[in-house]
Amino acid sequence: MEKTKDFRLYGAFIVLFLVLLPLGNLFGIVSNNTISLWGRYFCFAIVALGVDLIWGYTGILSMCQAFFFCLGGYSVAMHIVMKGATASGSDGTSIPDFMVWNQVESLPFFWAPFQSFGLAMILGLLIPAVFAFVFGYFIFRSRIKGVYMAIITQALALAMWLLFLRNETMLGGTNGLTDFKSLLGFSLASPNVKLGLYLLSLSGLCGTYFLSKKLVDSKFGKVLQAIRDSESRTSYTAYRILDYKLAIFIVGALLAAFAGMLYAPQTGIITPGRMDVRASVEMVMWVALGGRGKLKGAILGALIVNFLYSICTSLFPDSWLFILGFLFVITVLYFDKGFLGMIEIIGGKFRRKQITEKVAGHQVVES
Amino acid sequence: MNYIVKMWLGLCLCLFIGKQVVAQSDSTHFYVSQVLNPSNDSARTRAIKRLVLMRDPLTFPVLGAINDKKIYMLNGKPVTTGEPEELGEGSEVFPLYYLFPENKPVLEADGKPKKVTLETLKKVDVSRSDRLALNLILPYLNLANPEPEKRIIAYGQLLTSSDDSKIKILTEALKLENNKEAQTAGKEILFQLKLNEAVSETEAKAYIDSLDSNWGENVTIVLKEYSASGKVAGAKKYASEKVEALEGLQSRIEKAQNLFSGISLGSILILIALGLAIVYGLAGIINMAHGEFLMIGAYTTFCVQSLFIDTLGVKSDMFFFVSLPVSFIVAGIFGLVLEKLVVRHLYSRPLESLLATWGVSLIMVQTARSIFGDLTAVKAPSFLAGGWQVMPHLILPYNRLFIIVLTIVVVSLTYLMLYRSRLGIQIRAVTQNRSMSACLGVETRKVDAITFFLGSGLAGLAGCAMTLIGNVVPDMGQTYIVDSFLVVVTGGVGKIAGAILSGLGIGFLTKVLESFYEAVYGKVLILALIVVFLQFKPRGLFPDKGRIAED
Repeated sequence: MEKTKDFRLYGAFIVLFLVLLPLGNLFGIVSNNTISLWGRYFCFAIVALGVDLIWGYTGILSMCQAFFFCLGGYSVAMHIVMKGATASGSDGTSIPDFMVWNQVESLPFFWAPFQSFGLAMILGLLIPAVFAFVFGYFIFRSRIKGVYMAIITQALALAMWLLFLRNETMLGGTNGLTDFKSLLGFSLASPNVKLGLYLLSLSGLCGTYFLSKKLVDSKFGKVLQAIRDSESRTSYTAYRILDYKLAIFIVGALLAAFAGMLYAPQTGIITPGRMDVRASVEMVMWVALGGRGKLKGAILGALIVNFLYSICTSLFPDSWLFILGFLFVITVLYFDKGFLGMIEIIGGKFRRKQITEKVAGHQVVES
Repeated sequence: MNYIVKMWLGLCLCLFIGKQVVAQSDSTHFYVSQVLNPSNDSARTRAIKRLVLMRDPLTFPVLGAINDKKIYMLNGKPVTTGEPEELGEGSEVFPLYYLFPENKPVLEADGKPKKVTLETLKKVDVSRSDRLALNLILPYLNLANPEPEKRIIAYGQLLTSSDDSKIKILTEALKLENNKEAQTAGKEILFQLKLNEAVSETEAKAYIDSLDSNWGENVTIVLKEYSASGKVAGAKKYASEKVEALEGLQSRIEKAQNLFSGISLGSILILIALGLAIVYGLAGIINMAHGEFLMIGAYTTFCVQSLFIDTLGVKSDMFFFVSLPVSFIVAGIFGLVLEKLVVRHLYSRPLESLLATWGVSLIMVQTARSIFGDLTAVKAPSFLAGGWQVMPHLILPYNRLFIIVLTIVVVSLTYLMLYRSRLGIQIRAVTQNRSMSACLGVETRKVDAITFFLGSGLAGLAGCAMTLIGNVVPDMGQTYIVDSFLVVVTGGVGKIAGAILSGLGIGFLTKVLESFYEAVYGKVLILALIVVFLQFKPRGLFPDKGRIAED
C-alpha cells in the first residue's frame, strides 16, 4: 500500500517535470524563464536534502549550508569567468574582467586551478568537504550540539559572508561573479543549454534523492536517527558518534556544494548575498516547512517555498517576508511535521472517514 | 641663552607690530565707515582700494562679506548671514554675525543667536567694479570667515601662496582667532612657513619644537617633509627624531582609542546578551527576535523625539531621558506579547524556538520597514556631543562614555534584581529546576513572563542607547544578534558574570584584532578563537556545576 502510493507520487513527479515541462518548452508553451526557474528550484531541493539529512535525521541544526552551497557555486563561476576572460595580466595569463577594474595585475594563485574544468569540479566538491571536515571535527569533538551548534554555524556563515564581501579576497566582492558566457563550449544564453541544465538538475535531484534514501534506510541511517533521538544512549552502545556526525555533516556539505555548482550557471550570477545568515536559515526553513525527517518533505518544502516566493514577489512584493514569517511561526507551533505532515493528517482523516463509512455500511448489511 | 634672546626679540617685535596696528586701526575705522556709508561714489571706491592695500585682518570680515554680496546693516553695524535654517513653507531664517570692529555672532537679549529673515535686513549694495578691486587679496578674505572650517582651509591655502607678506598677515589673523582647532591648524601653517625660511640651525630647531608642542593634524607629515628636503642639515636630523617620537606617541594613543572602543562595543554586547542569557538559562528559549527588541527600543526613541520636538514643540534634550524608560517598557511589552503568543508553546524546545522566533523577527523587521521606511536617525542630545579630551588627539566621545556608564548601571541593577530580590530568587530557582520550584509554589509561568519582559526591555534599552552612535534602520538588530549569541555561548548559559566577561572579551578582542588586521579578518579570527576556546570549555566560561543528565 505504502509502496504503491510512493510509486504513484514518483510517477506524477516524473511525468510533470521530465515530460510535460520540457515538452511544453520545446513546443513553446512553457517559457525559457520558467524552465530555468524550476531548474534552480531543483538545486535548492538538493540542498534541502542535505539539510534534512543533517537536521531531520541526525538532529544537528547546521546554519551554514548556504556557505557550502556558495563554495560550489563560486568554483563553477570561477571556471566560467576564467574561460570568458578577455584581458591579460602583466605575466601574459588572461585574467577576469572584474580584476582589471580592481587594478589587479596578475592572476591570484588560487584562481589558477580553475582554468581546467575537471579541476574546478573536483575543487568545488573538495573544498567544502575539507572545510566541513575541519570545522565539524573541532565542533563535534568538543560535543557542541543543539543550540550551540546552530549559533556557531551561524557565526561561521556571517564571518564567511563578510569575507566574501571584501574585494581583497579576489572573488568579486559585493558584486560577486557574473557575466557568464559559456561552459564547456556551450553558450549559457541559448534555450537548449538552459533546458539541458534543467534536465541535469532534475536528474541530479533524482540521483541524490535515491542515494539519500538508500543512506537513511541503511544501518548507517538508523544510527543517525538513534543519535537524533538520544545521543548519549547511542554513545553508550559503543557507537563513535563523532564519526557518524562528521560523516553526515560532510555529506550535507557535499550535497549543498553540488547544488551550488548546478545553480550558478543557471542564474548567471553568484554573489555573497546567497550565503548570508538569512539564506542559510531559509534553507532550514524549507525543510521545516516541508516536513523534516522525511526526504520527500525536504524536496516538497524547497519547491513549494521557492515557488511561492516567485509568485508572491511578483504579486505583492512587500509582503513576502510577512507571509514567510507567518508560515514559519505557524508551522513550528502547530504543524510540527510540515506540509507533508499536514497532507497526512488530512489524508488520514479522509481515509478514516471512508473506513467508518464502510464499516457502517457493513453493519447495515449485517443487521 | 640664544633662545631667551630670541624670545625677547620676538616679544619686542610683537609689541611693535601691535603698536602699528593700533595706529592703523584708527584709519581702518575711517575707511570702513567710508565703505559702508560713502559720502560720495568715488569715496567708496577709494576706501576699498585703500583697505585692500592695508591688508588689515580686522577688515577682512567686512571685505569678505562684500565679496560674497552678503553684507547688510543692522543698527548701524555691518552684519553678514550664516547658513540658512528651514522654517517650513519655503521661508528661511539666517543667523547673523557682526563684522566690524569685532567678528562675532549677533545675540538676542537672552543670549540665544538672533535669527531673522532676509526681508528685515537692509542690504549694502557695492558695485561690481569695487568688488573686482578685492581680487588682489581674495586668498586672505576667508581668513576671517565666520565658520572655523573655512578659516582652516584658508590658512592651508597660504602655504602655496607666493605673497611675501603672508607670514605677517597670518600672524595678524591668528591673533583674532578664537576657535581652538583653527588656532592649532593656523599655527601649524605659520610655524611651517617660518621653518621653511629659517636659515640657522637653532632657529629651525626652535620652530620644530614649536610645531611639536603645537601638535596639529599634519605635524608628522610636515616634519617628515622637512627631514627629507629641509634647508638646514642639523635640523633635518632633529626633525626626523621628532617624527619618530611623535609616531610612537600616536600609535600609543591609537591603542588607547582602540581599547576604549573595544570596551564600548563590549558594553553594547553585554546589554544585548544579558537578556538573552537570562531567558535562555531560564526557559531554554533561543530568541532570534531579540535583536528586534533592540530595533523597537531605537524606534521608540525616535518616536519620543518626534513627539517632543514636532508635536509638543519642546526643543530640549529632555526627550532622551524620557525615552530611556519608555523604550524599556515598550520593548518589554512587545516581549510579553511575543511570549504569550509564540514562545509560551516552545519552552524547553530551543531549536524550535530558534526557528519560530526567526520567523517572528522577519515579520517585525518587515513591519518596521513598512512603517518607518529604510533609514531614520535620532538626533543625539547636545550634551552628549563632543568628547572628553584626555590629552590632545585622545578624545573619548561622550556618547560612548554614556553607553558604558549606562551598561554599568543596568548590569548592577540586574545583579541586584537577581541576587537580592524575591523575584530574583524565584528566577534562579526556576532556572535550576523548574519542576521542583513549581512544587514549592513558584508560579513558573508568571516568572517566565516577567523574565521575558525584563530581557526584552534590556534589549530595548540597548536600542535606545544605540541611537546615540548610529542610524535607526529596520535590520539593526540583526547586525548584533549573532555576536551577542556568541557572547552567550562563550559566557555559559544563564550566567550574568559570564555574559559580562565574554561580552567585554569579545568586544575588546574584536577591536584589537581589527586594528591589527582588516575588520573582516578580525571577525574570522574571533570565531576561530571561540571554537578553540570551546574545545577546552564546551559549556562556556561558567558552566553549571554538578551532573546534569543529558537527554
